[in-house]
Amino acid sequence: MREPIVRAAGLAVVVAYAGLIVWVYARQPQTLAQVTGGLASSVGAYHVDAQSFADGIRFFRRGQFMEARAAFERADPAQRDARTQFYIAYACYREGWGHFYNDRRLLARGLEAVDRAIALAPNGRLVVEDDPDLQMRSADELKAELQRGMQRDPNPLHVFRSRK
Amino acid sequence: MNAAREALLLPVMFLTVTLAGGLSLGPPVSFSPPPLFALILAALLVAALFRSGVLVPAGLVDASRGPLANVNGAVVIVTLFAASAQAFHLLTPAAGLPLLLFDGFLLVLLLNTLVTYPDRIELLRSLMVIFGSAFVLKFVILAALSDPTGGRLKRLLLLAVEGATLGTLTQDPLPPAAGYIAFFTLLLFLIAVWALAPPPQRHTANWRLKIED
Repeated sequence: MREPIVRAAGLAVVVAYAGLIVWVYARQPQTLAQVTGGLASSVGAYHVDAQSFADGIRFFRRGQFMEARAAFERADPAQRDARTQFYIAYACYREGWGHFYNDRRLLARGLEAVDRAIALAPNGRLVVEDDPDLQMRSADELKAELQRGMQRDPNPLHVFRSRK
Repeated sequence: MNAAREALLLPVMFLTVTLAGGLSLGPPVSFSPPPLFALILAALLVAALFRSGVLVPAGLVDASRGPLANVNGAVVIVTLFAASAQAFHLLTPAAGLPLLLFDGFLLVLLLNTLVTYPDRIELLRSLMVIFGSAFVLKFVILAALSDPTGGRLKRLLLLAVEGATLGTLTQDPLPPAAGYIAFFTLLLFLIAVWALAPPPQRHTANWRLKIED
């Protein structure tokens, strides 16, 4: 093989590999699925699993939030879809919210998921218009509600609040 | 150096060290960039490689070479620096007194290597000793001291060590795979540095000439 071809091909491979390393350090993927999903989404080839997403919505509407989260996580293993991450956050909120006690561990997970959703949405704005079951349609409302749930609330009248 | 080694093999090896050097198995898994001190150590190492003749910049970037060859050569130097920084990052403990001691130990060893003006073989041997001893100290001795599992006697000894050092010696326990990944990463780095060096001159031919004279 001619030397310039070897040098050019080598440079191309090295630039691609260096780009991958920079991406890995910037995004900090936790699983192989996140690596492959992140790379696929960077070239516009990533799609959520529609069947798993539909399962998740069905469980969510029935109030089976643990099952809903499992289905949503299966639908979006790389955590690259804003809408799915929004639903995961919402499922964490509904399961973790209580009149007398909030499960902060779940709300913290919800907060992480809604932060991911906001980061993935175009210009950080995410509104889910087409789901009548939701009382909070935007990621901003959900994030604020999750943050409120994380705070210690000394007001006893707040036991009369309702879950959104 | 042939084109494939310069354009592909060496940069890929150095980049792999750069990737694996910052890997922390956690949980959670994370990739951390090198601290500032690792960059200083890397600069010293690159200087030592240059002084000993392992790294010959004129053989990588020079006006007599074509533009593409010069870019390949520059990539080798840049990736060598990045890999060196991550190798030192890998070898130093995360926090506490060991971090300070290791940084001081590596700095003194590298400065010593730099001022003694070693030749290529001596530098490569010195590098093996530096990396090997730091690896054993961090991944064998310090890891054993920081391992919370074990019998009552070991826990008592650890408690005594921790008390004597005011808790500054022990580190977060390392996952079992961390040592293996570090070992192969450092081995890859040393192989890449060895492959970086120009082929040794054939002294035997000169010898023969001298004897015949």
